[in-house]
Amino acid sequence: MASLVVELVTPEAVLYAGEAQGLMLRSTDGEFTVLPEHATTVGDVVPSVVTVATAAGPVAFAVHGGYFEVVTAGSARDTRATILAGVAERTSDIDVPRAQAAKERLEARVAAARTDDDHAALTLAVEALARADLRLRAAHEALSAR
Amino acid sequence: MAGGQERTLRRRIKTVQATRKITKAMELIAASQITRSQARLSANRGYRDGMRRIVLEAAQADSTAARHLLGTPERVERALVLVVAGDRGLSGAYNASVLRAGEHLVGSLRAQGTTARLVVVGKKAAPYYRFRGLSVERSFVGFADRPTFADARDVAAHVAASFVEGDVQQVLLVSTRFHSAGSQSVATVQLLPLVVDATAAPSEASAGLRGYTEFEPEPERLLRELTPRALESEIFRALLEGAASFHTSQQRAMAAATDNADELGQTLTRIMNRARQDSITTEIMEIVGGAEALRTGK
Repeated sequence: MASLVVELVTPEAVLYAGEAQGLMLRSTDGEFTVLPEHATTVGDVVPSVVTVATAAGPVAFAVHGGYFEVVTAGSARDTRATILAGVAERTSDIDVPRAQAAKERLEARVAAARTDDDHAALTLAVEALARADLRLRAAHEALSAR
Repeated sequence: MAGGQERTLRRRIKTVQATRKITKAMELIAASQITRSQARLSANRGYRDGMRRIVLEAAQADSTAARHLLGTPERVERALVLVVAGDRGLSGAYNASVLRAGEHLVGSLRAQGTTARLVVVGKKAAPYYRFRGLSVERSFVGFADRPTFADARDVAAHVAASFVEGDVQQVLLVSTRFHSAGSQSVATVQLLPLVVDATAAPSEASAGLRGYTEFEPEPERLLRELTPRALESEIFRALLEGAASFHTSQQRAMAAATDNADELGQTLTRIMNRARQDSITTEIMEIVGGAEALRTGK
């Protein structure tokens, strides 16, 4: 049977590597599901929650943007899916109170940058806020799924 | 007096031993850092290889878009040179060799009529170039020992900005490559426009399937977004390799310093013992001589 191996790597660590039944992610073009024998594809991953379906249940990751590559090759039609993310984390590792605090702090910073009319700081703060927001949403999803 | 010499020697031995303690400690610390930085380097391999593979695939899918982003520009009026050195010294030739290579590169660029702008990483770099009358546009310090991806992003953002604005047509990187614990070398590579080297990206499976790859979104758009990410990845790798090389050179330099201290201590101890022996002999001679004089005088 064709198998699917999923790898989620960041520049500093390999977050996940192993057999999986499926992989759900979101690219610029929309939701994307990878199953064994998926056609060879290269694309991007927008900041979202990426879920790996494993035999032991789903494993979710908050991915703050990146790229993916799906390769199906060989006579066994084995599929390898690699997600490359600059920043990513397992949702179960997220510290909710801390993420909440970070979000509030960043909201204040966005507001401050807006009143100061500091464009560079505003862009940075908005980006950081988007990350904090995603982290929090991902953590909540993980909690409600449990 | 002989006793005075002995005392000075004893003091020198103590100093040498104190220095030895420091170099030995630094050697051990560096050795533990080597393992850590090597582990970080190998943890980064998956990301870096994947990045190169994706750039390669996207570039092959859309060669017209790729032409703007890849390849060597025909005319380079201004180039940006990024030199990755260390934050600390006491690491043998690590800093000196990479800094010298950067200096040569700037010199040869100038000879070709290209204006070179210098951006450096590491506390040791900026003073070196300033002393030689080269102006450093930006110096990143404080993370050369333990670079994080966020650091690489900061450097990449600065470098990419100049390139995107058209200020420079080429970005060159001078850094130390970490081949293995026993071999490191200084290398100069072109960072921007991106260099796509088919041999550099080991793509076992995808090699046979080129041309059948689907893209989401289309390669042109993908490639545009991909360039800064690929740059970050390459810079991060250079920083990691630099850190690993730094720790290796420091370990080697400090091991040599410890050996030298051992040798010096040994030599000094020998000299001191001889001096002590001499003074004892002289003393005995004096006593014997005195006693003899007294006996004959009786």
